[in-house]
Amino acid sequence: MKKIGKGIGLSYYGTGYGNGFPDVSRAIIKLLPAGRIGIYCGVTEVGQGAKTSMRQIGAEVLDIDIENIDLVHEDTSLMPDSGTAAATRQTYNTGNAIKIACENMKKELLEKAKIELNLNSTSGLTLEKGEVILSFFPQKRISYKKLSEIYYNDVIIEAKGEFTAQTTEMDKETGQGAPYWPYTFNACAVEVEVDTETGIVNILKSTFAQDAGRAVNPMLLEGQMDGGFAMGLGYTLFEDLNLDKGIMKNNRFSKYLIPTAMDMVDINNIIVEDPEPTAPYGAKGIGEPVTIPIAPAILNAIYDAVGVRIKELPVTPEKLIKHLRGCKENR
Amino acid sequence: MTLKEVYNSRSVEEVVGLLGEYGSEAKLISGGTDIVIELKNKKITPKILIDISKIEELKKIKEDENHIILGSGVTFTEITENPLFKGNLHGLHKACKMVGSPQIRNKGTIGGNIANGSSAADSIPPLIALGAIIKICSIEGTREIPLEDYYINKLKSNEIITEIKFEKLNKNQNLNFAKLGLRKALAISRLSIASLIELNEEGLIENVTISSGALGKYPMREKEVEEYLINKEINETTIEEAITVLQNSMDERLKGRSTLPYKRVAVSSILRENLKEFIKTRTEVRAW
Repeated sequence: MKKIGKGIGLSYYGTGYGNGFPDVSRAIIKLLPAGRIGIYCGVTEVGQGAKTSMRQIGAEVLDIDIENIDLVHEDTSLMPDSGTAAATRQTYNTGNAIKIACENMKKELLEKAKIELNLNSTSGLTLEKGEVILSFFPQKRISYKKLSEIYYNDVIIEAKGEFTAQTTEMDKETGQGAPYWPYTFNACAVEVEVDTETGIVNILKSTFAQDAGRAVNPMLLEGQMDGGFAMGLGYTLFEDLNLDKGIMKNNRFSKYLIPTAMDMVDINNIIVEDPEPTAPYGAKGIGEPVTIPIAPAILNAIYDAVGVRIKELPVTPEKLIKHLRGCKENR
Repeated sequence: MTLKEVYNSRSVEEVVGLLGEYGSEAKLISGGTDIVIELKNKKITPKILIDISKIEELKKIKEDENHIILGSGVTFTEITENPLFKGNLHGLHKACKMVGSPQIRNKGTIGGNIANGSSAADSIPPLIALGAIIKICSIEGTREIPLEDYYINKLKSNEIITEIKFEKLNKNQNLNFAKLGLRKALAISRLSIASLIELNEEGLIENVTISSGALGKYPMREKEVEEYLINKEINETTIEEAITVLQNSMDERLKGRSTLPYKRVAVSSILRENLKEFIKTRTEVRAW
């Protein structure tokens, strides 16, 4: 028999290293030939979209097309350390470092423009589409390209930025304190269909709301949400190492199952934007959090459908049938 | 033994000659979806590989007045895309559609599915239900055996399966298939059921063959269920009775197996799905 159930999972997640651990990100910005902007920063791309979103932050500060920004983040001899792509920290921490570095770069660009345009001060100078412009007399302008032709080789225009996250250590004795800041929040609802004879749990639909502070790139963010859901789904229903005295029995992908595209559903993703004041344009990390509420949501939905609480993952069909039969016999 | 040579064959005759010469030192490869893994894991270490994937005569789907004949090199995709296997042969279409993934269906062949001999092979139960006959060639000649007997009368090392043949269905016959996989694609069958049912004019079952996959050492007929269903009308009650009959056969056959408690429960859903699909297809046929 097929039974339908609904469930919700909620989570909040402290981003960054936390607990008083030094959490530092750094970036260097350089004006490159042809007026391109170079962001030198050890932000690791692990598929989360750092290559895109970090350039977007730079493009926003320096008012330049993202295509004209080069992110140098793979050759460690060229860039400063910016910490790990871990703890859901890159958007918040490194995003802040890049934003600060670009704001410093903006000051440098204005200073150099002041000299080249024979002005008394940088007051009234603004950045607009790759140019420095005097706002009340726009004929006074100089492009980044022109500046890059004047300032090259050892006199190039550059700036640095550094951001250190504020965290406090927990009390070692009591475990009390506020080890993380900021937090990110989410909620996931799923509807499942449970076959009470095969134990197969079929996800029918899902709505997933994720607080991002500010969505730097909504499409990438939705990609993260879909990916997080797929990983949560695999964790909940499929992925089983099948350890036998410490030996992994499911040691190949024909036995260690992960969801296929056919097992995924189109999720109704909702992006919640409540800007975090200390974050770059309000943007917080969401990388790890997007996996967290999925398992509780599915488990609650299974409980709603068939009345059994499964406390050990994954909920394989065989395990679910065992529990369902157990319930019947106890009654 | 290390691999010495790969032959790229163009005719069955040539293959039969090579198999006659090399026997157990040779292995046939067509789509390679099973054998490449075995080669990689050194589960098999042939000296000679004979590639039969480019032999045109093995790749044909033919029909005469009474039969459909599949070349052993026909891929699952070729079956799923062929209109011959829609309508009342839908069960074969469905089984082939549930094989692995599009890539595997593009490469994997019906002959390979038989030769590999897995109990969980998706295409076998519907072919057994159809009473398919397989044609086997060797240097000693040609023999034809029911697919059902293949698993107790396996290929000799000098033989090649060339054809799979079954009778065309009449309008009162329907082939259906249901499978339990642990996910929606790329799932090895935990169990599967195929049924070929023919109703008489009173709507009672005139002829029936039921076959299963992964409910034993190899795909097989479920004769107790067939006996139960004969001369019955298919309805809620007979479906549930048929399930009990199948469970009793499984209790006997799979006694002591750790998978039995789960499979005997799960089989009810799959047999019910299969027989309900039959009811549904009959109603649709009548509606036309």
